[in-house]
Amino acid sequence: MKKIVSLALSLLLGSTLLLAGCGGSSGGKANTQPQTLNLFSWADNFDPEVLAEFEKKYNCKINYDVFANNEELLAKIQAGGARYDIIQPSDYMVGTMIKLDLLEKLNKKNIPNLTNLNTSLQAPAYDPTGDYSSIYTWGVTGIAYNKKYVKVAPTSWEDLWNEEYKGRVILLNDNREIIGMALKKDGFSNNATDPRQLAKAVDDLKELAPLVMAYDTDTIKQKFIAEEAWIGTMWSGDASFAYKDNKNIGFVVPKEGTTIWADTFAIPRGTKNKELAEKFINFMYEPKVSAKNYEYIGYNDPNEKAKQYHSEAFNNDPMLKIGAAHIDKGEWLIDIGEAITAYDKAWTELKTIK
Amino acid sequence: MKQKSGKYLVFPTIIWLSFFFIIPLLIVIAVSFASRTPYGQVIFNFQLGNYARFLEPLYLRIFIDTIFVAVVTTVLTFVMGYPLAYTIAKLPKKWQQPGLILVMAPFWINFLIRSYAWVIILRTQGVLNTILLKLGLIQQPLALLYNDAAVLLGMVYALLPFMVLPIYVAIEQLDTRLLEAASDLGAKPFTAFRKITLPLTMPGVAAGSILVFISSLGMFVVPDVMGGAKSALVGNLIQNQFLSARDWPFGSALSIILAILSLVLIILYYKVLQAKEGGASDAQKLA
Repeated sequence: MKKIVSLALSLLLGSTLLLAGCGGSSGGKANTQPQTLNLFSWADNFDPEVLAEFEKKYNCKINYDVFANNEELLAKIQAGGARYDIIQPSDYMVGTMIKLDLLEKLNKKNIPNLTNLNTSLQAPAYDPTGDYSSIYTWGVTGIAYNKKYVKVAPTSWEDLWNEEYKGRVILLNDNREIIGMALKKDGFSNNATDPRQLAKAVDDLKELAPLVMAYDTDTIKQKFIAEEAWIGTMWSGDASFAYKDNKNIGFVVPKEGTTIWADTFAIPRGTKNKELAEKFINFMYEPKVSAKNYEYIGYNDPNEKAKQYHSEAFNNDPMLKIGAAHIDKGEWLIDIGEAITAYDKAWTELKTIK
Repeated sequence: MKQKSGKYLVFPTIIWLSFFFIIPLLIVIAVSFASRTPYGQVIFNFQLGNYARFLEPLYLRIFIDTIFVAVVTTVLTFVMGYPLAYTIAKLPKKWQQPGLILVMAPFWINFLIRSYAWVIILRTQGVLNTILLKLGLIQQPLALLYNDAAVLLGMVYALLPFMVLPIYVAIEQLDTRLLEAASDLGAKPFTAFRKITLPLTMPGVAAGSILVFISSLGMFVVPDVMGGAKSALVGNLIQNQFLSARDWPFGSALSIILAILSLVLIILYYKVLQAKEGGASDAQKLA
């Protein structure tokens, strides 16, 4: 027993020493002391080789931390304890962070490559001037379906409300997405806060609830690949992923329009490395760099100038193409303020329907 | 001298508990009386609105549903756990330890991973459906997941060890001479079990039930993964308040209500146990 304890202790000591050594080494070489860029993002959001290239080119070290959802990101940034130089909030969260004065204005002079972006993505509703954020990954929500079981390709959100698919319909486990979907179906904005519009959408969803197999965001792809789900709401990026494993999966953007989303680059207030952060954003929009990077992460590349550097397969990916073709049909989710309480209550109510 | 230095050994524990239990608990209590801005910032202006909101029929119903699921889970773990604990306790001594280790073994793997393992077994193209289809026992895959039965299965699976271990201890400590005496006096084995073993192991059953019941009240992974996030239990409701709804005060109030409910149950347990012990010693006196 004693031996085990002393072993554990020495291991612990050893590891702290190692950590200390690591921090110290950068301080030791005072002349070429590399800067550290603290990146706070979603897991697996970059090609590691691209990050390594940036480190080499600008003689710096990237410290990559991950968060699992926007609320976690917001809490960390508000707490202020952790210092980050680059963060990747989603669309509506950018709006929230602007209102809470948590973001630095981007110095566009340092990011000339911003003009490479698709013009539809340069002035999104949550940040209309594009002063605080720039789009990194984006996609639209559509209907994914399995052609084996769903014989006629859906065209409208209405097609989810079909008794034939009872127990096989899957919806994103996300109140803004799903209530927004029902609002779109009824011809309203997916940011509606009018109680009557909201009530209509929620009533429709109550009719859909008995047909629903599951609400799922994280493993919705697996449920489609394993053919548990026949039809449901899905993000274009996920549809592209699922299609690679199961060629029966189709994807459409319904005629009523849909939700468009994006994860962005933004710089939190109080960063010490604003310039390096801007260099990083600019680097990521280099056509060649972004071609390599998006091939790896598998999302639509917002960079118009990168097309020529992408592989044939990437440029012809059917799911990514569908997303790109409907870039103008999407409406951004913006922060709806106090109405989120009504959304949450309606959502809870839906979950109590058996 | 010795006594004095002994006292200091408690200090690390006290510091640990105050930092990681008492202070967080006080923060949760404070936040539960606060309100929030639309962006989720907490404003400390003492008010009871969060607790009043709990009384709305929607949220009350979720509490009642949760308690119902917890009761059914407790009963099922008892029905399955008692025979298991009994069997292990009656094994030859050298097999008891391995038996207990087998009961505990699932804890070595992360619970989330075990839940997804159930998904792989039970889904439409899963292990179980494939076997049944191959054997020709069914023509269509069965819908085994994403319903209340799947949630109960996951709960019982996760919490069974909490029921088995206390019951095992109670049976193991049972004075076997009582059973011999009963048999000498002509009681059939089942009568002896019903009149002696079961009543005397009730404290173990009660301890197991409390552990299972309270743990199932707070579950949110099982309803999400195996229930398809369709049934809202209190755990899920609280989780939502802290994430998508950005309503920490309401989430805190719900947590406090859940904690009070658990506390009341634990107090009841001790009261019943004390009464039982009093009763037992009375019986001994009579004997």
